[in-house]
Amino acid sequence: MAQPTTLQPPAASATQDAPRTGNWDGGNEPFKASYGKLMMWFFLLSDAFTFAAFLTTYGMIRHKHEVFTGEAKDFVFNSRWWPIPDHVFNAFPGMGHANVPLGFVALMTMILILSSVTMVLAVEAGHRMDKSDVQKWLLWTILFGSTFLLSQAWEWSHFIHGTEAGTRMADGTVFHGANLSVNQYGPVLFADLFFFITGFHGTHVFSGVCLLIWCFIATTNGTFHKRGHYEMIEKIGLYWHFVDLVWVFVFTFFYLV
Amino acid sequence: MAAHATTEETHTGEIAKPNTAWIWRVFGILVGITAVEFVFVFLMHPSTLRNSIFIVLTIFKAFFIVGEFMHLKHETKGLIWTILVPVALLIWLLVALITEGSFIGEVLQNMFK
Repeated sequence: MAQPTTLQPPAASATQDAPRTGNWDGGNEPFKASYGKLMMWFFLLSDAFTFAAFLTTYGMIRHKHEVFTGEAKDFVFNSRWWPIPDHVFNAFPGMGHANVPLGFVALMTMILILSSVTMVLAVEAGHRMDKSDVQKWLLWTILFGSTFLLSQAWEWSHFIHGTEAGTRMADGTVFHGANLSVNQYGPVLFADLFFFITGFHGTHVFSGVCLLIWCFIATTNGTFHKRGHYEMIEKIGLYWHFVDLVWVFVFTFFYLV
Repeated sequence: MAAHATTEETHTGEIAKPNTAWIWRVFGILVGITAVEFVFVFLMHPSTLRNSIFIVLTIFKAFFIVGEFMHLKHETKGLIWTILVPVALLIWLLVALITEGSFIGEVLQNMFK
């Protein structure tokens, strides 16, 4: 450990450079965003690559399959063609066999957009150093996030168990619901993509809820207040909005188109 | 203000009034766009035009979420481009592989005809 613990100022000489203060010379923020926020942006960009890979796979596989060309009312589940989404996702919790096309997924979308709003409100409260407002809006965000997760659990359960009628498969047996190798709705890959895409998104929501709960505990303990800023809420907020953003795309490409 | 100020706070300044009107405005826009999407689901037969409408509306929603909620619109130009350029390449990949998928499907369906 012969190294000096402090840097010695270089001996003054006529040839020494003036201190460099340019944008990329260190010591300042070229993008006017802190290190943490910048890295969160880059992480989200890499996460966008993963989700884009999923959606690209979905688009390619879907276009590889036949499209049902008849009237929507004549549509029946068949492994030949890609299912029409509002015939698959038409159940609503507590409404039995009522036909509510896309009703539940509309509610889930609203819940997730609302959770994004309460997240921005938490960030805004953080800017004002208003600890109790931050706590309040974080709790709302955790509530909406958890509600979304429970809704997705219900959606999965319904998708896996299927309808009473089921679909007669090629071997003559009637199959209800879906798993990774056989499903009543259409081509095998339809169910696989449903599980992988909504599952990967749900995992993100779950991680987000965990981070928010940690944030709430840290806020309550006054960690951020002592630090003098609530930037951690902003960083986790960026992640949370990204998860909402991904849902907007999943919603369009899986349920609407 | 005093009602919700706790004792151990080191921060002594007054807590400013919340400025949330813009947040609720963006929320209104997002809900409005989603409602319009549902109108198209039930009033229009599936077609390329309907799908294009959905994709355009989705990009509008993404613009508001990323621009306002994630604050990207108010960051420096450098950061905006750093995020947007790779995403533009992803859209290229998406379009290319969807076209490829249609072609593969056509080949497979006509293989034994």
